[in-house]
Amino acid sequence: MRKNNEGALTRRGTSALVRHREPREEYLTPVADIFETSDAFVVRLDMPGAKKESLVVSAEPMLITVKGPVEKYHTDPARTLVSETVTKAYYRVFNLTRGLDHTRIQAEFEDGVLTMTIPKNDEMKLKEIPIQ
Amino acid sequence: MSLIRWNPARETERWNMQREINRLFDSFFRGGIQDEDFGLGVWTPAVDIVEHENEYVVRVELPGISKEDVKIILESNVLTIRGERKQEKDVKEENYQRMERSYGSFQRSFTLPTTVKNDNIDASYKDGILTITLPKLEEAKPKQIEVKVK
Repeated sequence: MRKNNEGALTRRGTSALVRHREPREEYLTPVADIFETSDAFVVRLDMPGAKKESLVVSAEPMLITVKGPVEKYHTDPARTLVSETVTKAYYRVFNLTRGLDHTRIQAEFEDGVLTMTIPKNDEMKLKEIPIQ
Repeated sequence: MSLIRWNPARETERWNMQREINRLFDSFFRGGIQDEDFGLGVWTPAVDIVEHENEYVVRVELPGISKEDVKIILESNVLTIRGERKQEKDVKEENYQRMERSYGSFQRSFTLPTTVKNDNIDASYKDGILTITLPKLEEAKPKQIEVKVK
């Protein structure tokens, strides 16, 4: 029962992108916004401190994996006064449902935010049906 | 079977709570620095502050923010970082499937242990991290005093 609820979300009742639970402790799960446009799903992830050069986004037919290593920033300070950030590599997996084209995903990284645009296949796009 | 609405705040709450507790412990045992007002505003960006021999370095996690929307204020030795992260204007709320990121205004203030040079503060923004370097005043730097033994 609980399992069924894990991925249940949003007012729409279904989602094309449902997070795959990642229990590994050595990673930090970046927070994400997911929204839908007429021809794509857009995933936006906060990954402050990650570098564009070392970010890896890989896509399989049913899965997108995002990995972003983070370098330790403060080199040998005399004293640490406040320490709230977590220096762990980012890692998150998204499940893709049918109707999304994993071969044409676009990814952009700007100001610590990764934006992935996953285009819909024609079958998933909203079609207007003419009334006879 | 009943559907339970997924609550994005649940995860972040737990996280913030942990952070807050850690911070309380840290400030209690280390003494020195204190967060002036526990973070006013809608969300609390994570902050690191370290001290070097000649300067303080402050790092704030602010992914996806415009430089114009952040203000850094130094009054005597109280450093305030204030700003707002704006939400996507062109996306309708009903088109969101998931919303875990925080938006809105934030404010954090910190009392630095020693006075810093007011005119030589450097701030840069890269990869979603705001880095502020505050050089110490001459008299605040550690000094070595030679003592002659007779």
